[in-house]
Amino acid sequence: MNQFKALLLKEYKEAFRDKRALMVAMMMAVMAPVMIFALSKTMIKELVETPPIYVKVSGAEFAPKLIKQFKDENILLFADVPSEDKNLWHERNIEITIPETFAKDMIAGETIDIVLRTDYSDKAMNAPLRRIKDEIRNYARSIGYKRLLVRGVDIRLLKPVNLIEQNTALPSSNAMFISMMLGLYLLMAAFMSGLSVAIDSSAGERERNVLEMLLCQPVSTLKIVLAKLVGASTIAIIGVVLTLVLTSFSVGFVDLTKIGATFSLDAFTIAALIILLIPICFFASALQLFVSFQAKSFKEAQSTVSMIIMLPAMIPVALMFIDDKPKWLDWLPVSGQSLLMEDLFKGLPVDWFLVMATSLVTIAITIALVVILSIRLKSEKVVLALS
Amino acid sequence: MIEVKNLHKTFKVGKNVVKALDGLSFTAKDGEITGILGPNGAGKTTCLRTLYGLLTADQGSVVIDGIQVAESPLEARSRLGIFPDKFGLYERLSAYEQIDYFASIHGMQGDVKKQAIEQVLIDLEMQELAHRKTLGFSQGQRMKVTLAQALVHQPKNFVLDEPTRGLDVMSTRILRNYLAKHRDNGHCILFSSHVMQEVAALCDRVIIVADGKLAAEGTPQELCDLAGEKLLEDAFVKLIGSDEGVAA
Repeated sequence: MNQFKALLLKEYKEAFRDKRALMVAMMMAVMAPVMIFALSKTMIKELVETPPIYVKVSGAEFAPKLIKQFKDENILLFADVPSEDKNLWHERNIEITIPETFAKDMIAGETIDIVLRTDYSDKAMNAPLRRIKDEIRNYARSIGYKRLLVRGVDIRLLKPVNLIEQNTALPSSNAMFISMMLGLYLLMAAFMSGLSVAIDSSAGERERNVLEMLLCQPVSTLKIVLAKLVGASTIAIIGVVLTLVLTSFSVGFVDLTKIGATFSLDAFTIAALIILLIPICFFASALQLFVSFQAKSFKEAQSTVSMIIMLPAMIPVALMFIDDKPKWLDWLPVSGQSLLMEDLFKGLPVDWFLVMATSLVTIAITIALVVILSIRLKSEKVVLALS
Repeated sequence: MIEVKNLHKTFKVGKNVVKALDGLSFTAKDGEITGILGPNGAGKTTCLRTLYGLLTADQGSVVIDGIQVAESPLEARSRLGIFPDKFGLYERLSAYEQIDYFASIHGMQGDVKKQAIEQVLIDLEMQELAHRKTLGFSQGQRMKVTLAQALVHQPKNFVLDEPTRGLDVMSTRILRNYLAKHRDNGHCILFSSHVMQEVAALCDRVIIVADGKLAAEGTPQELCDLAGEKLLEDAFVKLIGSDEGVAA
């Protein structure tokens, strides 16, 4: 125990004095809240506000009331576009054609064809198009209703069925996107924060010729690996906790209810997330140590380990595309935690059995990695690679 | 006491088979400084790594104070103070912290550890260095720290692989006196070097290794007599190059 304490203390001293490694860990934590804050702000702006839309209307003079209604809803004529946005709206090229016979047909009660022409496949056009169509429909409907009213017809006749839409998705898809980003980010933080420490204490020590001296000492390789694992994981855990605390603080500055989000980072959610992510921190550090101990140089370790970082980014994204998820995905490291985090963000009750199951599997794999690594460190191949 | 008995070791490098040790045997006794000499590639480092328990011999054994290294490497290592061929320092730790780290690995704690560290710092005259971070240390200063961490636990057996390279005259003398004092206290010291005057001045017995085998063994004077030379350097060249030397 005395030996392990000494090994661990040395790992901590080295890790906490390594400014570069600490900066990487803290950078992840500081960037998260900024990103979530900016993302939420833009999303709220896009969804709640009605930014101006500039439309090329030909025959605007034939339907002044329609144009006025457009204007009230911030749908403006292309002639009024400010010079800095001119190119953008020229490219978007939304054209509305009002026929010359508009006023005459209106009086005669004929159907008027207004043409809306643009590239419908462009996703950026979805919101402007929806607003334009809604306005034209509203305009047409209000005239229709008036026509019926003056003829003494109850306009309710036009609405035999009233559809009441109730969205039970918890929370709305937009908030879901934010929480998904946070989930992904937390997994990344678990993998990234301890990375420099893991590489430095394995491949770095080998390159600085201190590993051979350590291997000559009367200490088991298992203790050496465990001390290094705990050292790197501690930094990873600090990174994750800091990310969560700072994010919960920054989310408080945005009113997510505006976009129907029930997304909140209360104490319970934070605690549950930390419980979920601690095994992942150990797993990530074990994986990084495993790979970098076997690399021939610091540089080789860096390039191999950077591939491992893809893991937390790839798995949750891949999961999004699998509709019918096989049960075993709930149990595996990274995918299990990712799915549980998704439930947590949706506000669903936490399935503690699954939390335990995926944590146990993650810990079991971590232990296996540690044991295999400690055996490999005894092999002659590793010793011979020292010189 | 370190007993090396009939060590054999071969390595496969690609398609080539290299015989690093070919039946090497020798004994380094307590209360003696045993010098181990050999040209580059003679098998010294392989022999020492087998002695630390890092490599396993194909045949033969190493026994340290009656403990078989192959069977209980950790117990055997606890009786060794090792100054390896390649060494490095933890650059974010101070010299004191490094020595403390190795003392703790050897199971020392509390006041005993503190006193042992103070003692080794005094013995190697490095109190001034103690609380400085080792980043930027000169070669000689780095050697001293490595020596101190190898010897802080007062091991019964010292295994020092070229411990004087890079040391200035003053530091070499300090080390020589340190080793002589410990020899007189009954420690077993196995010492490799390429500096013949040093070996001649310091070692009680010299082992010459060539091609993974024992080429010759004896006091420096005996080796000179055996080769019919006045200087150990000439005797060494003659002994590793002639069959007569191997036969002797």
